[in-house]
Parts: sequence; C-alpha cells; structure tokens
Amino acid sequence: MVARLLLGSIFIYASYHKIIAPDEFAKIVYGYDLFPSETINLIAIIIPFVELISGIALIIGIYTRPAAIVIIGMLTAFVIAISINIIRGHEFDCGCFSSDTSQAANTAWQTLGRDMIFLMLGIYIFSCGQEKIFNVEGK
Amino acid sequence: MYTVTQIFPIIQKAFFLLFLAAVAALVTNHFSPVGIELIGQWDQGKRVINADTKDGSPDHHPDIDDVDMAKLIYDGGKAVFIDARSTDSYGKGHIKGAVSLPVDEFDSMIEFLLNHYPTDKHIITYCSGRSCEDSHRLAQMLFDFGYESVSIMIDGFPVWEESGFPVE
Repeated sequence: MVARLLLGSIFIYASYHKIIAPDEFAKIVYGYDLFPSETINLIAIIIPFVELISGIALIIGIYTRPAAIVIIGMLTAFVIAISINIIRGHEFDCGCFSSDTSQAANTAWQTLGRDMIFLMLGIYIFSCGQEKIFNVEGK
Repeated sequence: MYTVTQIFPIIQKAFFLLFLAAVAALVTNHFSPVGIELIGQWDQGKRVINADTKDGSPDHHPDIDDVDMAKLIYDGGKAVFIDARSTDSYGKGHIKGAVSLPVDEFDSMIEFLLNHYPTDKHIITYCSGRSCEDSHRLAQMLFDFGYESVSIMIDGFPVWEESGFPVE
C-alpha cells in the first residue's frame, strides 16, 4: 500500500511538468538522441499521460498490477536509454521531474540509480498484488 | 510464479491502460493551448529545432542562417550583437563587442540596453546554435520592448568561433 502510494505519487508528480510544457519535454526527448525525429513529439505527448494514468491507477488501486507492469516497462526503457547515453558519453538532461533545462540536472548515474530503485519498487508492487484497499481488480 | 493464463489478462489490461493514456494524451494535446504538433522540427539542417507549437508562436524575426552573412553585417558596424547565453558562457568567450543579455536575466538588464541603444538599432541575437532557442526568445522579448529590427544568427557562437571570426 505504501509502495503503491509512493510510486504512484512519484509518477503523477513526474508527469506534471511534462504535461504543462510538452514543447520543453520534446526538446529533452530530442536530447537523448535515440529516437527518429518523427516520433519525438508523439513520445513527448504520450509518455507523460502514461505516467499520469499509471500513477493514478496505483494510488486508487484500480488495475494495480497492469499499472505496475506499465511502470516497470517504462522504467526499464528509461534505464536502457540512460545507460546507452552513459556508455557513449553523451551529455543529456533526463527531464525526469522538470522540463526546465536551465536547472542543473542530476548526474546520469544518480538518475540511473534512482530509476533502479523505482524499478525494484514497481516489481515489488507487481509481485505483492494483494491490495486490500480500493482494489477492484480482485486479485 | 504466474502462469500464462494468469499473466495474459494483466498484460491485456496493461495495454488498455496504454491505450487510455494515448487517447487522453492526444485529445488533451489537441485542445490544450500549449499543445504541440504531432511531428516537430528536429532537423538542425533546416532551422532551429523545436517541437512546433500548434499556435505557431509569433516569430517575425528573420533568421540569418549563413554565418558569413552575419560577418558582413558585423563588418558593416551598424548592428549590435547580443549574446542570449548565460553570463558564464559569455565570460568564457563571445563575439567581439557583443553585449551579454541572458534570457533569464532579461528583466534586470533590459533597462541598460534601452539606455544605451535606441529602439531603431539593428540587433542580432545569438546563442549556442541550432539546438538552442534562447536567441529566438530574446528576439521576441526585444521586439516586445520596442526594438523594431531584430535578426537571429541561428548558428550561434560555436560556428562563429569555428569560422575564425573575431571573439574575445
């Protein structure tokens, strides 16, 4: 329950800045230098809502394990994207919690470590799957 | 461990969540005043990269996409070059004679500019190249403060420096 609320809140919070400034987030996606230019805007439009809806689902306990799977998938993708950029020495702003590119971004290693912790939290939520409060999934 | 019959409905619901998110995202983006086009301008060879906001942000300022052209204007001596980057970047190197006016410090520094340069002065803004938009933002801010003739050197300081043009 605590893990669900925590991870859900984190993802809702993370989606906020991206939703109010999609143009800034698109630039951050571009900065990862991993995606075809035709897909950058779509990624910037859709990812924040995936975070938001998964976060809401975790908090209210609807579709908890499906939401956990989505979050595990996203975090795995983030970890891969960050790792690729660390390996090739490419400087980038993770854009995780803010679209403000003028702020000093965390180091890539810190970001990677944090995402790994979130990933473990997501796996824990998925494996527990026995929500008792607000859970309408019934599993 | 989960069996296939147990995991399949969960995966199905996960896809449903993704579908829901995609629909919500596209609908919100369509109606949002800050929405962006589905495909942006990410080709640095064309012009400054950006997500292309749907309202088509007003941009009345001519882009100078040829650094040699900018140098000709520089040599003419009638334009003032304004550096939109941070004071730190400016301190490390800038176009010789350029004025520093970081976008983030615009409010505190615009007075200085208005006192020293009349609004009919030809201004050329620049920042770090085609992946940065600060020169465009600065150009718009200057235009809003009455500067009538503002151009943007979109290749920015790096290309100017690489070309061997005057820096300090």
